[in-house]
Amino acid sequence: MSDSFDALVTALADDELIIGHRHSEWTGYAPHIEEDVAFASIAQDEIGHASSLYSLVGGGSGPQVDALALGRQPEAYRNAVLCERPNRDWAFTLARHWLYDHADDIRLEALEQTSDSKLQQLVTKIRREERYHLLHADYWMKRVAQGPVDARSKIIPAMSAAFAEAGGLFEPFEQEDQALDEGWLPLPSSVLLARFMNWATSALDELGLPGGSEAEAVIPAEFVASSSGDLIAGEDAPVEEPVLPAGVGGRRGRHTSDLAGMWAEMTTQYRENEGARW
Amino acid sequence: MEVYEVFRRGGHREPFEHCGNVIAPDADLALLLAKECFLRRQEGQHLWVVARSDIHFFSDESLLELAADKSYRFASAYRDVVGKRERAHERVRELQAS
Repeated sequence: MSDSFDALVTALADDELIIGHRHSEWTGYAPHIEEDVAFASIAQDEIGHASSLYSLVGGGSGPQVDALALGRQPEAYRNAVLCERPNRDWAFTLARHWLYDHADDIRLEALEQTSDSKLQQLVTKIRREERYHLLHADYWMKRVAQGPVDARSKIIPAMSAAFAEAGGLFEPFEQEDQALDEGWLPLPSSVLLARFMNWATSALDELGLPGGSEAEAVIPAEFVASSSGDLIAGEDAPVEEPVLPAGVGGRRGRHTSDLAGMWAEMTTQYRENEGARW
Repeated sequence: MEVYEVFRRGGHREPFEHCGNVIAPDADLALLLAKECFLRRQEGQHLWVVARSDIHFFSDESLLELAADKSYRFASAYRDVVGKRERAHERVRELQAS
């Protein structure tokens, strides 16, 4: 297996782990008991997907799953910034859940054509579970967007905030060019981003939610991945760090302080009880 | 929000059995929530939700009680039938012998 394969799978797994952990923070606090159970279940699914993906890193012979999930420093994670944002309220959580799971569906659909058979089988399995997540997100979003007034007035700013950073989910992976050449990644992130934006524009329009104008700002199209995994602006890149669009940077370890806080809590047991098994 | 009663069954030969209820704004979301609350561990293969308001029941359940002696409707009332038949056979044999 190659480094570019590991980079791709690690980024996918990090997204799942980090958003799964954020989702799990609702356990015991969700709007009502049935939703508490359902959302905790979705959180478990996402963390389970992360675990399965980590197990493919290094051709299955690399560091163990726990070490990848909990044994790295925050800057080593390659999740998109949107995943690490605090839950804020139920409206933001829901908006992010809806955007994330649809974005995930778009990239998983593409990854069903990956040249790696283990990843391909896993993606097929994950997509079976994601069908429920999509239904759950769609039903909730439809109910909330259609009112009552109170729900609509909360979902509109929440969606704007989440959507503004959603483009970061399609920031190019590290070593993306190699992953494309080697067939692990069937389509470049820019193509997936375009698909996502097409979907989002019509879906938001159908729900009567704003989002179109912010969409222009978040497309990180002017950035391409260099062989080192750094993003450079075009051919003759200035040496200084480019100012990144909202939500971009996570795929090369440029996270917000939100991740550091979450990471400290998420990894407490692992760090304090080195080598412990459970 | 409305209460939806949840029914599930293990297979096509099994009856649907009531297993609990969920509170949801509509039947679609009720089904999604019921799946996670009552079919988490493959307890069944089929799931129904029914709005509680669509369920009809007697407002006066004393109607369901037996107001008079209906012992003839119970199998236990016929336990002595075998004995009676034995005695009848016995009587026939006696009459044939005489």
